[in-house]
Amino acid sequence: MNDSTLDHLRTVADLPDLTGTRYEIESEIGRGGLGVVYAALDSELGRRVAIKVLDSTDEARVIANLEHPAIVPVYDAGTLPDGRAFYAMKLVDGIRLDHYAVKHRSVSESLHVIERIGEALAFAHSRGVLHRDLKPQNVMIGSFGEVYVMDWGIAGVAGTPRFQSPEQERGARSEVDQRSDVYALGALLAFTLPENAPRALKAVAAKAMRAKPDGRYASVSAMLLDLRRFEDGLAVDAFPESVWQKSWRFASRNRVLLALLAAYVLVRVALYFFRKF
Amino acid sequence: MSRMGFDPDTAIGGAHDRFPSTRMSLLEAAAAGKALPNDALDRVAALYWKPVYKYIRLKWRKSNEDAKDLTQGFFASALEREFFERFDPDQASFRTYLRVALDRYAANQHASANRQKRGGGLVMTGLDFDSAVGEQPGGEDRRQKAIVCPTLSPEELFHREWQRQLFSLAVDDLRDFCEQCGKQTQWRIFEAYDLADGDRRDYAALAELHGITVTTLNNHLAWSRRTLRGFVAERLRGVTSGDRELRAEMRSAFGRSR
Repeated sequence: MNDSTLDHLRTVADLPDLTGTRYEIESEIGRGGLGVVYAALDSELGRRVAIKVLDSTDEARVIANLEHPAIVPVYDAGTLPDGRAFYAMKLVDGIRLDHYAVKHRSVSESLHVIERIGEALAFAHSRGVLHRDLKPQNVMIGSFGEVYVMDWGIAGVAGTPRFQSPEQERGARSEVDQRSDVYALGALLAFTLPENAPRALKAVAAKAMRAKPDGRYASVSAMLLDLRRFEDGLAVDAFPESVWQKSWRFASRNRVLLALLAAYVLVRVALYFFRKF
Repeated sequence: MSRMGFDPDTAIGGAHDRFPSTRMSLLEAAAAGKALPNDALDRVAALYWKPVYKYIRLKWRKSNEDAKDLTQGFFASALEREFFERFDPDQASFRTYLRVALDRYAANQHASANRQKRGGGLVMTGLDFDSAVGEQPGGEDRRQKAIVCPTLSPEELFHREWQRQLFSLAVDDLRDFCEQCGKQTQWRIFEAYDLADGDRRDYAALAELHGITVTTLNNHLAWSRRTLRGFVAERLRGVTSGDRELRAEMRSAFGRSR
C-alpha cells in the first residue's frame, strides 16, 4: 500500500457517516485530542454548523447543560453507525485566541477576553463542570468580539503543557478541582498580557498559577474579583503594595480631586500673599 | 436527539458498543493471568513485524539479511508471557513499549554479535520479507543496503509503517468479510475507488460501470469505510490493554498524534 492510498484510507475511514441525517459534511476544521470537528451544512434549516465526532456522548451532555453566552450552544447529538458519538453546534465565525493574541495585545483586550472566559468557567463550576484543558486553542473570538470557550469538561483529558496545572501534570486526578482551571486561566492571562503590563496584573496571573492549589485563588470568581478591583483602580489581593505604590495608585485614581485640591491650595497661597503685600 | 439506525453488518464496533468486544485483548489476558491464545500472538506479529523490520533497517542500518534475522529473533524471544505481563499501560502504549523493547534487544544483539543463538533457533514462519522490501521509503530495491530515509526519523518510520500494516490488514479483513457475506459489489467499488492508485474516477462513471445509481454507490462506499474502520479497531483491540489505550491508538492511527 503506497503513502497516497494509505492517507486516503485514513481520511475516508475517519469521516463520519452521516447518511440519512440532515447534515452534509463540508470539510474538517479542527482535530484535537478527543475528537475531530467538521464544518457541515444542516440541510433542513439551510445553515452551516460544526459537527464534532468523538468517542462518547459525555461531552455533548456536559455542554448541552451549560447555557451561557460564552459557551457554544449544542443543537443536536446522536450516534454514528460505527458507534462514535457526534454533536452539532453553532459554527463560530471567528479566530482562535492564540491567533487573536498576536494582533490584539493590549491590557484592555486581554482583560476583556479573560473576563469572558472566567465568567464561563465560573458558571460551569457552579454546575459542577470543570474544563480541564483550557488553552488558547480552545477559545474562539467571534467577529464582534464575542468569546467562546470550547472542548468542555471531559474526564481523562490530560491538559496541555504550559496551561496545565502541576497536579494534572503529575496525573493526580483526585487533586484536580476548580483551582486547576484557575491555574489555566492564570496561564491564559499571562499569555495574553503585553510585556509592559502593570505589575499588579502580572501578580494576579502569578497567584493563579502557584504550584500548590492552596496558594491560588480559591475560585475563578475570586480571581475575577481581583481583576475587577484592578480595573476600578483598587488594590488587588495578589499584589502587596508599598506606601509609595499605594500613594501613586491613589493619586492616579483621584487626579481630578488632587488637581482641585492643588488649585485650592494655590489660590489660598495667592490670596495670602495678596493680602499681605 | 437524533439516533441513526443500527446496521447489523457493522456489528464490529457497532452502535451498541463503541469498540469491538468480541475478542479478549492479548494484554488483558496476560494481565488476568489467563492462557495467551495462539491466534492473539499471531495477531501481534502480523501487525508489528513489518514496522519492526523497517525500523531495524533504518535505525540500526542493517542489511536486509541482518534485519530479517533480528526481526525473527525479536519476535521469537519477545512473544512470551513475561513480555506481555511486564507491560504497564499507565507508562506507555503497547506500541511504544514494543519499540523500546526492540531497541534494547537490537542493542544487545549488536553488542554481542552472537548471531548463532539469535532467536533461540526458532524461526517465525509466514513473514514475507520480500513484500516489505518493496515498500521501503523511496520505493527503490535496496535489498542489500540499509534503509536511508532523509524525511523520517526511525520513530516516525515505525509509526508510519505501523499505520500502513494496520490498514493493509484491515483491508484484507474487509475483502474476506465481503466474500463471506456476499458483498462483492461493495468490495469492487471500494477497491476501484478507495484503493485506486492515482486518479480516481468520478462517482457517476463508477456507478455506471457497476450498473448502480450514484446514491447506491455512496451507500456502498460509506458501508465499506465504516466496516474498514471497524476492522482497524478490531486489529487494535488485540494489542491494547483496554478501551482507553484503544481510543488513543485509534486516534494515532487516524490522526496526527503519535
